[in-house]
Amino acid sequence: MPSPALPRHRSALPGLLLVAPALAMVLVFFVLPLAASVTGAFATEEGRSLANFAKIADLYLPDILFTLLVIGLSTLLIAVFSLAIAGYLTLGRNPRAVALLRWLYRWPLFIPFIVTAQVLRTFLAKNGMLNGGLELVGLVDPATASNWLDGRAIVFAFVWKQTPFVTLLVAGAMTSLDRGTIEAALNMGASRLRTLWDIVTPQVAGTLMTGLILSIVTMMSVLSVPMMLNATAPTTITADIAFRINAYGDYGVANALGVVSLLMTSGFAILYLRLGLKERT
Amino acid sequence: MQERDHLSVEGLQAGYGAGLVLKGIDLAVPKGQFVALLGSSGCGKTTLLRSIAGFETPRAGRILRDGAEITALPPDRRGMSMVFQSYALWPHKTVAQHIGYGLALRGLPRAEIAARVAEVLAMLGLAGLEGRKPAALSGGQRQRVALGRALAVRPDILLLDEPLSNLDARIRLQLRGEIRALQQALGITAIHVTHDREEAMVMADRIVILDQGVIRQDGSPEEIYNRPNSGFVAAFMGAENLLALEAVAGDGGVRLPASEWNRALPLPGLRPGPVEARFRAEAAVLQPVDAPEAAPGVLSLFGRVTGCSYPGGCWRLSLRIGQAQVEALAPMPHVPGSAVRLDVPPAQLFLFAAPADGRGDTHGPRTVPEPQPQRSFR
Repeated sequence: MPSPALPRHRSALPGLLLVAPALAMVLVFFVLPLAASVTGAFATEEGRSLANFAKIADLYLPDILFTLLVIGLSTLLIAVFSLAIAGYLTLGRNPRAVALLRWLYRWPLFIPFIVTAQVLRTFLAKNGMLNGGLELVGLVDPATASNWLDGRAIVFAFVWKQTPFVTLLVAGAMTSLDRGTIEAALNMGASRLRTLWDIVTPQVAGTLMTGLILSIVTMMSVLSVPMMLNATAPTTITADIAFRINAYGDYGVANALGVVSLLMTSGFAILYLRLGLKERT
Repeated sequence: MQERDHLSVEGLQAGYGAGLVLKGIDLAVPKGQFVALLGSSGCGKTTLLRSIAGFETPRAGRILRDGAEITALPPDRRGMSMVFQSYALWPHKTVAQHIGYGLALRGLPRAEIAARVAEVLAMLGLAGLEGRKPAALSGGQRQRVALGRALAVRPDILLLDEPLSNLDARIRLQLRGEIRALQQALGITAIHVTHDREEAMVMADRIVILDQGVIRQDGSPEEIYNRPNSGFVAAFMGAENLLALEAVAGDGGVRLPASEWNRALPLPGLRPGPVEARFRAEAAVLQPVDAPEAAPGVLSLFGRVTGCSYPGGCWRLSLRIGQAQVEALAPMPHVPGSAVRLDVPPAQLFLFAAPADGRGDTHGPRTVPEPQPQRSFR
C-alpha cells in the first residue's frame, strides 16, 4: 500500500533548519558588511549624495585607470604563462623536464603576497639582482640604471604569485581531456605549439577564464604589493582605500572606492558569465 | 628486383613500466595491403599500432617506412593518418574544420581546402553536415568524420584503432564495407587493430594474430581460418570445441584408439602422446548413433545432448563427449539426454601435439601448412 505524501511544510522545515546556520553566517558576516559599506559610500555630512564619487573622479581617476592597466596586463601575462606551463606539462616529451617543472611551478602558491613583495623589492631595486644581472650581460649601464619599483613591479609580483594558481587549474583541465584529441592533431601533422593553440586551449578555455577571474578578484584585493613595490603615483585602488582611512579617517570616500572596485570585479564576472553562456548555446 | 616493403617493423619491443607488452615483433607490409592486427585485450595490438604512429617509444627494435628508419620520429612527422577508437573529434570544431585541418596544416590555399573538404564530405556521405559540431552528430557520422579527417590528407598509411567498436551492429557492418572499399579505391596501406574476428576476416588482405606480445600467426584470412598453426589461433578463430586425446603407436602407424566415445582414427605422421583436437561447432555433422560408418579420416564421436537452444537459423546443441563439453549445430532440435554421433571431417579437424603451457603451441604434423604459392596482396 503506498504511504500518503507528507505535507509540504513538514518536509521543507528540516531543510530550512539545516541551511539556517550557514545562511545566517553568510548574511551576518558577508552580506551585511557589504551592504553597510555600499550604503556608506553614499553617506556624507550633508546626508546621502554622490559627493564621495565626485571626489573619486577628481582625485583618483588616474589610479582607477592604473589599477585597470596593471591588472589587465597581469591577467594577460598570467594567461600566457599558465597556458605555456600547463601546455608543456601536457605536451612535453622530456619526462624529466616535465617532472621538474611540475615540482617547481607550484612553489609561489605557498608564499604570501607580502613575502613576495619583500622578495621582489630586493630583486627589482636599483641595486637589486635584476639590474645586477642585466649589468653583467651589458644590457644596463650601472651609472644610469633605474629601479623597477613602479607599476612594472606590481605586474611582476601579481604574475609571479598568480600564474601557479591558474596553471594548477588549467593543467588539471588539460589532464582530463581525451588524450586522443591531442594525438589526433599531432597525427595530422600539427606541431605541439599548434596543438596547444588549436586543440587544447579551446577545450580548457572555460577553466582558464575561471582561473583568471578568480585571479583578478584576488589582485584587486591585494594591498601589500602596491604598498611595498610602488613608490610613485599613480597607485592601485587598494592603496588609496588604505590611505583614505589611515590618513584622513575618510570612510565615505574609502567606501566609494570599494564600490568602484566591486563594480570592476563585477564587470569581469559578468563578462565571464556571458562568455560561458555563449559557449553553452 | 624485390620491391621494398612500405612499412617494416623489426624486433620491436615496447612496454609500460616494468612490463614488456611487445616482445619482439617483426612485420613487413607491402604498399596497398590491408593488415588486421587481431587479438584479445592486452595482447599488444594497440601498443604496436601506437608505436607505428609514434605515440609509444619502443624499448628495442626499428620501424621503417620505405626503408627509412622512423623509430625516433615524433608523430607529427611520420605522415601517417590514424583513426582513433574514441574518434578523438575536437568538440569545438565543425565537421568541415575537422576534415580541412590536416590540409590547412600543409598550407594549402583556402579554395583547394574547400574543394577537398567537399570531395571528402561527398565520398563519406556527410554532405550537408559540414557546419555541425561533434555533439550534434550520431555515432556513425562521428566515425565518418574521423575517417574523413584521416583520409583528407591522402595518407599513404592509414592506422585504424578499433574504429568500429563503439558503433551499433548495423552501422558497423555498413562501415566495414565502406572502409574496405575506400582503402582499395585509394590504394592506401592500412593497419587495422581489432578484436573482432569476423571484422578482420571480411576487411583484411592479411591477418596477424597477436598473443602476449608475440605474433602467433600471420597469413591470409583463408589460411588463418583453415590452417591455424596452434591451438590458440584455432580457438581464437572459432574452433573452441576442445578434446584432449592420446595418440598411440600401433600396427600401421600412429592412431587414435577407439574408446566408448570415439571410433579409431589413423593419425599419420603424428607422434605418440597427448593431442589437442579442436573443431568449430558448424564443422561437425550430427548423426544418429546407428548411422552408417563415416568416410575414412572422419573423426566420429559419441555423446549425449545436454542442452538445446535456438539462436536463429539452426539449433545449437551442447553435448557431453567423454569428459568434454562441446557444441554443435543441427537443423532440428534434440531432446536433452538423447544419444548422438558427431562426425568431424578431416579438413575441419585441427590436431596439435598438446604443449606444456596448454596453449597448443606445438604443431602437429597434420597442421603444418604445406608450402603455398606466394600470395600477392596487391
